Amino acid sequence: MSKADDIIHQPVRLKIMAALNALRAGEAIEFTRLRAVVAATDGNLGAHITTLEQAGYVTVNKDFNGRKPRTRIAMTRGGRRAFTQHVAYLRDILDGEAMKDS
Amino acid sequence: MAVSREEAEQALQSITSTERRSATLRGYRGAAPHLILWGLLWAVGYGLTELMPARGNAIWTVIVIVGIAAGTLMTFRQADRSAAWRLLAVTATLIAFCAGVLTIMAPVGGRQAAAFIPLVIAASYVIAGIWFGLRYVAAGIAVALLTLGGFFLLPGYFYGWMAMVGGGALLLVGFWLTRD
Repeated sequence: MSKADDIIHQPVRLKIMAALNALRAGEAIEFTRLRAVVAATDGNLGAHITTLEQAGYVTVNKDFNGRKPRTRIAMTRGGRRAFTQHVAYLRDILDGEAMKDS
Repeated sequence: MAVSREEAEQALQSITSTERRSATLRGYRGAAPHLILWGLLWAVGYGLTELMPARGNAIWTVIVIVGIAAGTLMTFRQADRSAAWRLLAVTATLIAFCAGVLTIMAPVGGRQAAAFIPLVIAASYVIAGIWFGLRYVAAGIAVALLTLGGFFLLPGYFYGWMAMVGGGALLLVGFWLTRD
């Protein structure tokens, strides 16, 4: 059975990882768009991204798009692997429970 | 960390809905430049056709070639080669369909052809939207209603109407798709 990932399982971080998982490998998403997908406040989203960055699950790239500052977030290979394992863990729970029910 | 069955179920639902929303918004971002491009091309194409209706075929041949070339280039620059080929295939299918129908239904006037093609495009937006996002449905319905409105209510100014309102609608929807 796969293991739970405490860092990913927090609800906002779970959404962040799910949003990034829907992108192609190496593709980044802008902070503003990620905020719209996750429906979190700037401060809350920023704090959770920092946690994921420290765990090595995402990379944060800050640059300028013309004169406007831009922050883009991408999932690392390790982050995608960890997310996949966590999803497998969640499915294992449901499958295990389903087997008990039958 | 112990996760209950209920928590696992909720988490998986959250993952599914978030992934879907992320993919939809990603699609909107990818489609937006194409709608803006075609909005501009419609404005130019219908505008020139209003001024020189006898040269409609030549005008639209150039407009379509420019649109396909620019759209393919934009998709390649978005680093999505398979999408570029699929977009070309969809465009070729729509052109072949419109050409086939117009040939079968011939003779048709320029105004009829100029209304039929936007209606086919509007229908394709609605069909795409049913699968990939409601904003495409809204775009398709808006283009269809504006086309029909112009065709029946303003027959004398149809090309000008399509240049301003049809092209304008595509531009507006294109900018709407860039918004989250």
